[in-house]
Amino acid sequence: MTAFDAANHANSKSNVPSWRASQMDSALEVFESLDEPTGSEEDWRYVDYDLPFAGLAQIEDPGEPLSDGPFLASLTNNSGHVLIVDGQVLEVNSSSASISTLRDLESDEREFSVVAVDHNKLAAAHGAFANDAVFVDVVSNQVMDAPLVIEVQGVTPGSASFPHISVAVGENAEAQVLVVYRSADGVELLMVPEIDLQVVDGGRLRFMSVQNLDHAATNVVHERMTLGRDATGRLGEVGLGAKLGRLDLGVSLEGDGASSELVGLYFGEGSQTLDYRIVINHSGRNTSSDVFLKGAVEDDAQSVFTGLLRIEKDARRTSTFETNRNLVLSENGKAHSVPNLEILCDDVICGHASSVGPLQDDDLYYLQSRGLSKERSERLLIKGFFQEVIDRLPIEGLEAPVSEEVFRRFVQAQKEGRVA
Amino acid sequence: MSTALLVSDLSVAIDNKQILDGFSLEVPFGEIHAIMGPNGSGKSTFCHVLTGKSGYQVRGSASLAGDDLFSLDVDERARLGLLLSFQYPTQVAGVRLREFMMEAAEEKGIDAAEAAARIETESERFGMVPFLDRSVNGDLSGGEKKRSEIFQMAVLRPKVALLDEVDSGLDIDAVKQVSEAVEEMRSPELGVVMITHYSRILRYLSPDRIHVMIDGRIVDRGGSELADELESDGYEGLRKRLGIEKVVDDGPMRKPADFFTDTPFDV
Repeated sequence: MTAFDAANHANSKSNVPSWRASQMDSALEVFESLDEPTGSEEDWRYVDYDLPFAGLAQIEDPGEPLSDGPFLASLTNNSGHVLIVDGQVLEVNSSSASISTLRDLESDEREFSVVAVDHNKLAAAHGAFANDAVFVDVVSNQVMDAPLVIEVQGVTPGSASFPHISVAVGENAEAQVLVVYRSADGVELLMVPEIDLQVVDGGRLRFMSVQNLDHAATNVVHERMTLGRDATGRLGEVGLGAKLGRLDLGVSLEGDGASSELVGLYFGEGSQTLDYRIVINHSGRNTSSDVFLKGAVEDDAQSVFTGLLRIEKDARRTSTFETNRNLVLSENGKAHSVPNLEILCDDVICGHASSVGPLQDDDLYYLQSRGLSKERSERLLIKGFFQEVIDRLPIEGLEAPVSEEVFRRFVQAQKEGRVA
Repeated sequence: MSTALLVSDLSVAIDNKQILDGFSLEVPFGEIHAIMGPNGSGKSTFCHVLTGKSGYQVRGSASLAGDDLFSLDVDERARLGLLLSFQYPTQVAGVRLREFMMEAAEEKGIDAAEAAARIETESERFGMVPFLDRSVNGDLSGGEKKRSEIFQMAVLRPKVALLDEVDSGLDIDAVKQVSEAVEEMRSPELGVVMITHYSRILRYLSPDRIHVMIDGRIVDRGGSELADELESDGYEGLRKRLGIEKVVDDGPMRKPADFFTDTPFDV
C-alpha cells in the first residue's frame, strides 16, 4: 500500500516506462498544489465530495477479482476480454483489436492524460499515480463484429485506483467497446478512471459503460472522445451504482461531418448521487450531435445533469440537441438538470429539452382507465420511460439486464412503500 | 332489457363551479345512446366523472349493470367493464400498445392466447398493425389516435363504452369506419354512450336515443328527429324552442378593489 505523498510516489512509478515516469512527476507537483474538492466549486455544485486522499492508499498487489456479475452473462459474444483490478491490468485477451499495456509502450506515442490537470485534484491524481493502462488499437478499415469487454473492478478496502483505458479507432475502422465497472460488496474505495477515445477520419466507435459499483464505492470518471472528419461516435452510459458516481464527459467534434450520439440512463436509490457533467464541443463544420439522458431518483438519492453544447465560431451548419428527463419518485429524491448552450456561430440548429418531475397523473389515469392497477400502471410507465434509452444503447445484448435491474429497483421500492 | 348504465341525479362541480346539474341517464344493454351538446356543456366532464378521474366534487349515483361505480377506483371501474374512449388520448412514452393491451387484458382476466388473438384480429381491422410495437399514441395523427381508442375497445370488450367525441378530428372515411365498427360491436352485452357536438356521425350509426345536454343538464330526449332538428336549427334553435336563456357567465361580480388584490404585479 502506498500513501498519496511524494515520498511514496517513487513506488508508484517504479514499473512504468521513463516517459510516463516524468509525466507522473510533473503531475505530482500539480496534485500537491491543489485542494480536494469541497463541493463549493462550480464544477462540484450540488455534490458533497468528502473523500480525502489522506485516508486512501494505492494498491501494489491487486485483490482477488470478483466473481461473474449480472451484466456480462447475457452478452452472447465478445471479441476480447480485459480485466483491470484495483487499477492494475491483470488479463488481456483479444481476437480483433490489438491491445497493449503501459509497460509495452517504450516511447511517448500519445498524450496520456486527456483531462487538463491544473485545476482538478482528481485528474491530477490520475496523472500522478496512474501506473498501468490499456491501449486498444483498431487499425484502419478493421471491423470489430463483437465488443471488446473491459471489466474494471475495485476490491481492496480504502484503495484509490486509476484505471486508464485508451481506444484509438483508425480510418474507416469500426470498433465496439464495453466497460463494466464493479466493486466488492460493502467496500469503501475510490476509483478515478480515465477513458480516452480517439476516432480518426471515417472511423466509427460504439462505446458503452455500465457503472454498477457497490453503494459504498466512489467513482469519478473522466471520459473524452475526439472525432475526426466524418467520424461517428455512439456512447451509451448506464449509471446504477456507487455512493457517488460521477461522469465527466467531453466530446469534441473536430472533423467536418463528424457526428456523435450520447444516450444514457441512471437510477439512484438510497443515498446515491449520480452526477453527469457533459460538454459537447463542435468545432468542425457540418457536425451533428445528440444527447439523450433519462434518469430516476428514489429515496434520498440525487442526480445531477449539466450539459453544455458548445458551438465554436467557425462550426457552420452544426446540428445539435440535448434532452434530459428526470423522474423524482420520492419526497426526498432530487434531480438537478441544467442544460446549457454556448453558440458562437450563427448558422446552426441547436436545442435542448429538460424536465424534472413525478410520474404524470394523466399517464397514470389513462393506463388505469384500461383496468391496470395503479401499481401496475406505475411499473409500466417506469419501464416505458427507460425503454426509449434502452432501445438506443450502442452495444447490443445488454438490454435485458439493464432493464431488469432498473425495474427491480422500482418494484422493490414500490413494495416497500418508498414510492411517493 | 337490463340496464347497462344508470346515472341518477348527478351533480358535479370543479372548484365550486357547477358543471353538471341533476343529470340522469339510463342506457340498456344492446343500445347506443348519443349525448349531444354544444362546446362547454359538460359532456367530457360527464365521461371523466364516470371513469373516475380525480379533482371533481361529485353528488348523485352511477352504476354499471347494477354495480355502484363511485365507490370504486379508476382501474376497478375499468375491470368492471367501463371503457372511455378519450377525446384527447394521452401519449405514453415508451409503453408499447401491444404490451399495454396484453397487461390490460390480463388484469381483466382475459386469457393470454385469447388476448393475443384479439389484438391480431382487431389491429388488422383498424389498421393498427404498424402501431402495435410503438409507444401508445406516440406520434399518431388525431384520426389514428381515435382508431387506436376503438381498437382498444374492441380488444377489451367493455360492458359500457363512453365514446367522447370519437368523431372529432376524423375525416369522412374515418368517421364512417369508426361508426360502422361501433354498430358492429352492438351486442346484448354492451351499452354505448356516444358523445358528440356534431350530428354528422349520426348519419352512419343509428342511436336508439338522443339526449341533448345544455349547461350541464339534459334538456331534451328523443329519437333521430332530434338530431334532424339540431342539424337544421342548431343548439340556438333548441334553446328558443325550450325557452332556455343563454347565460353569459363572466364569473362572480368583481368589486373595483379586487382588481388591485388580484393583479399579478410580480409578473
